[in-house]
Amino acid sequence: MVRTFIAASIGVTAGFIGGLFGVGGGVVVVPALVMLLRFSQYEAAGTSIATIVAVSAAALAVLAGNGDVDWLAALLLFAGAGTGAFLATRWLDRVPEHVLAGAFTLLLVVAGVRLWL
Amino acid sequence: MAVIQLVLLALIGLGAGSLAAALGTGGGIIFVPVLAVLFAFDQHVAQGTSLAVILPTAIVGTIGHARAGRVRWPVAIPLAIAGVVGGVIGARIALTLDDSLLRRLFAVFLIVMAARMAWRTVALVRMRGSSD
Repeated sequence: MVRTFIAASIGVTAGFIGGLFGVGGGVVVVPALVMLLRFSQYEAAGTSIATIVAVSAAALAVLAGNGDVDWLAALLLFAGAGTGAFLATRWLDRVPEHVLAGAFTLLLVVAGVRLWL
Repeated sequence: MAVIQLVLLALIGLGAGSLAAALGTGGGIIFVPVLAVLFAFDQHVAQGTSLAVILPTAIVGTIGHARAGRVRWPVAIPLAIAGVVGGVIGARIALTLDDSLLRRLFAVFLIVMAARMAWRTVALVRMRGSSD
């Protein structure tokens, strides 16, 4: 019962962040499951992805209803991202994780500053 | 959209998808700024389009994780139901916000995420240092 309540609280928070910012909400769910419900990283990732389906479907329905979706761009990004996820398991293994994490940090900072301006 | 832009979108998806998969993070955090900055999308359309990419990606991911037994359904189900409620509230609030305000809020969100990724980078570098 307590676990269900905790899960529901995490879900509402993740949904809110996901819906507000157009992301899946995994950024909230994964660390919350690990810290609050003692999930392993693997189970947290698996369980979180099922939540992301619900959050993104709900938020997408609201934004699509307002005409805020470019379906052609989404289709192309999806095709590229699917291929990328497949390739990543083959060649990104050779790049050390700290280099990837560092590059990603830099990308987020540049994008954040550029969006603010 | 011009052909060059269409090709660029698929290539950006490729890069974002690889990075996201390798780091175990979602693609949305990359799709939104790319669409808003490089393609000059309205913030709302960038976010809506990002969600339209995330949904099918997450469905495919869920099937894979579920087959591998990594989805704990007794927790996933209340999470998902609550996620729908939160998602509708969040998206409805986003619609009430002015495009430039939403863009700035997203910028703050990105910087918070950058801080978290920077912390992880430092932890990884330290781990390497201690193992050498």
